Amino acid sequence: MGDGGRGRGLLIAGATLVAAIVLLALLAPYLTPYDPDVTVVARYTGPAPPSAAHPLGTDTLGRDVWARIVFGARTSLAVAVLAMLVSLGIGVTVGLVAGYFGRWLDTACMWIVDLVLTLPTLLLLIVLATVLPPSLLTIPLVIGLVGWTTFARTVRGEVLSLRERDYVLAARALGASHAWIIVRHLLPGALPSVLALAALGMSGAIGLDAGLSYLGLGVPLPTPSWGRMISETQTYFAVAPWLVVVPGVAISAAVIGFNLIGYGLLDLLGAPRT
Amino acid sequence: MSARLRGLAALLCLAAACAVPLDPPPAGPPDGGGPPRRGGVLRLGAADDPHTLDPARGYDTASWSFELMLFDTLVAYDAGTNLVPALATSWEQSPDGRHYTFRLRPDARFSTGRLLVAADVKFSLERLLKPTIHSQGAEFFSGLEGAADFTAGRAREVRGIVAAAPDRVELTLREPDPLFLHKLAMPFASVVDPETVVRVGDDAFAQHPVGTGPFRLAEWVYGQRLRLERNPYYFRAGLPYLDGVEVTVGVSDQLAWFKYQRGELDLAGIPSAEFARVVADPRYRPLLLRRTTLTTQYLGMNCALPPFEAVEVRRALNRAIDKQRLLALIDGRGVVAEAILPPDMPGYDPTLAPYAFDSGRARAELAAAGHADGFATTLWATRDDTTLRIAQSIQQDLRAVGIALAIKPVDFPALLEAVRRPGMVPLFLMGWEADFPDPSNFLAVLFHSRNRETNNNTFFADPAVDRLLDEAEPLPAGPERWQRYHEAEVRILAQAPWVPLFHPASFAVRHPRVRNYRLHPLRPARLEAVWVAW
Repeated sequence: MGDGGRGRGLLIAGATLVAAIVLLALLAPYLTPYDPDVTVVARYTGPAPPSAAHPLGTDTLGRDVWARIVFGARTSLAVAVLAMLVSLGIGVTVGLVAGYFGRWLDTACMWIVDLVLTLPTLLLLIVLATVLPPSLLTIPLVIGLVGWTTFARTVRGEVLSLRERDYVLAARALGASHAWIIVRHLLPGALPSVLALAALGMSGAIGLDAGLSYLGLGVPLPTPSWGRMISETQTYFAVAPWLVVVPGVAISAAVIGFNLIGYGLLDLLGAPRT
Repeated sequence: MSARLRGLAALLCLAAACAVPLDPPPAGPPDGGGPPRRGGVLRLGAADDPHTLDPARGYDTASWSFELMLFDTLVAYDAGTNLVPALATSWEQSPDGRHYTFRLRPDARFSTGRLLVAADVKFSLERLLKPTIHSQGAEFFSGLEGAADFTAGRAREVRGIVAAAPDRVELTLREPDPLFLHKLAMPFASVVDPETVVRVGDDAFAQHPVGTGPFRLAEWVYGQRLRLERNPYYFRAGLPYLDGVEVTVGVSDQLAWFKYQRGELDLAGIPSAEFARVVADPRYRPLLLRRTTLTTQYLGMNCALPPFEAVEVRRALNRAIDKQRLLALIDGRGVVAEAILPPDMPGYDPTLAPYAFDSGRARAELAAAGHADGFATTLWATRDDTTLRIAQSIQQDLRAVGIALAIKPVDFPALLEAVRRPGMVPLFLMGWEADFPDPSNFLAVLFHSRNRETNNNTFFADPAVDRLLDEAEPLPAGPERWQRYHEAEVRILAQAPWVPLFHPASFAVRHPRVRNYRLHPLRPARLEAVWVAW
């Protein structure tokens, strides 16, 4: 069980990291004079090490690494947020419906959740990313479609206990509609834990996006993405380690940031860590 | 730069300084005199198992590299592109150019010990033409008299292939074909052992190949390794020097490089990341192998699909792409391509360079063609690192002239399948390597309108070009033939179905113990004269 002090500390540390990344993403055009997609060296002769003009060096196409990092922050955050919305949408709906109506509907929903959970995540991601046409929306959709099960289970669990509370029973006795009860009474009750999970899910989505990009299935070329930056340059690790280290640090920072927020929220809520 | 950024930059400079220095090449005996030594096993690596070991069915570099170890053809190439005797000691051509008489070596034996006779040559060429074999090489020999009847099942043998005596084969063509000897030098025309084919069947022959080559297959553990051992009956006295060749399967290019550096492989390609350091390193210099190939890498445009049906658009793309940068992206391994034919190809004209890189002019031409606002299109490319970097370089060049390019990365077999479908692929990145040193192998195969849906993947069709190609086809090798093909090439370039990008050269490194290993401009390296020192 958590104590408020530690939860707050985690939350502040995470929020600081995430805020920094969000600022990078928002201010990207002001943080670099370079177009992240364009070769900026006059003559390409291999990746160049950090210099005054290019503080993080240039990559295997002669593009500015710092520019790709800051614009890559946009990609990573956008993918993570969209993936999270898809997961939330599906997961919370399924959880509310299953938990509230119970009986055969609950059994069916949880059966589907179990089914999705048994599928190997990365394999499912690869299949979906290969089948769906490549676009900026495909990857978040794919990650969202794989990641909703935790939300469904958590929300269902919350709803199972909430629906027996007096105020819910009272609402039902007064003849409130199912929709009203779900939206007005059950959803707000489940919201705090959903928020904590969403933060944890964000870090998961960033990691998955990096993994997919690493496998060559990420957002369309040449959109900068941190995972792709690593996969494009991994064979250069012995020659130009900064090409791999810089996006690696960025991915770690984002994942750690969102994780800290998630655990901080869970601690504040007094929920057990999963 | 803020103080924090400067600190970060300093940190990264430190990381850069920590870049791992280039490991030395494996240690081995110094180069120097001494006669070739018999014995030893050459250790090679391959990413995948070969597609097949049946010469009638292999049409890729990996399969061919094994077929050259296992089989022989009537004629073959010397170290360059000249045809020399192999299983045939000599040959005569009739004055009308339709009849060939080949005198066979008296001492060529299959690796089973049996002497090769003329009937084996007839068996092998007819097997290639059998419809059940589905050989991609069949088209090269469809000019043999009676080939069509045989393929259609109307005849039990090919009239134009006669085993006149045990040591004499007579081949008759319907029309004279100046390329016929080159076709006979393709691995498709390898002589296979009929006894083995009959015993194991046509399909299983790919796993149990028997020929007259310097080596024979000892073991093939699928997905793990192939082991070849010396053919004790090989007809060239004293060869091969090697006891055998062992190929480890499942070794990616990067892994092959590491294994080479550890001394576990005798030959390897050089990864892009390491290329600059390797060629600059005096320790590696004596071990470097280089060859130019008869290859052109190009950007293909689908002439049957808008907006590339407009020649103005195709010309504009020819001016929009910075080929020098592309060459830099492949570590300078090759030369920029301005036309279709590669250097070293007869008929190559170094002055042919109709389109200079000029974004401004490209933009103006696009505007004149009604695309002042640009357009969006899709480029199909294989998903390997180098190709995708080339694709992204082209993508930024085209963006500069207003064309929004989406890149579609696919596997190579999928790309081959897709480009054959009309209306499917607007732009694609591919390469073509000549099977034999004749311009027709580029110009007719890739641009004759009759080859749309096989290898003419730009769906280019121009009656004048067709006519020039048809006129050139029967001409004997020589200035008149080259001139006709040159006219065709000039005309094709004016129609611009391609943006020629570069002619790559291939590089490899050898273990210091490997001697006499030579890369060939047309074929995988032959191994019978390779030896290892200690």
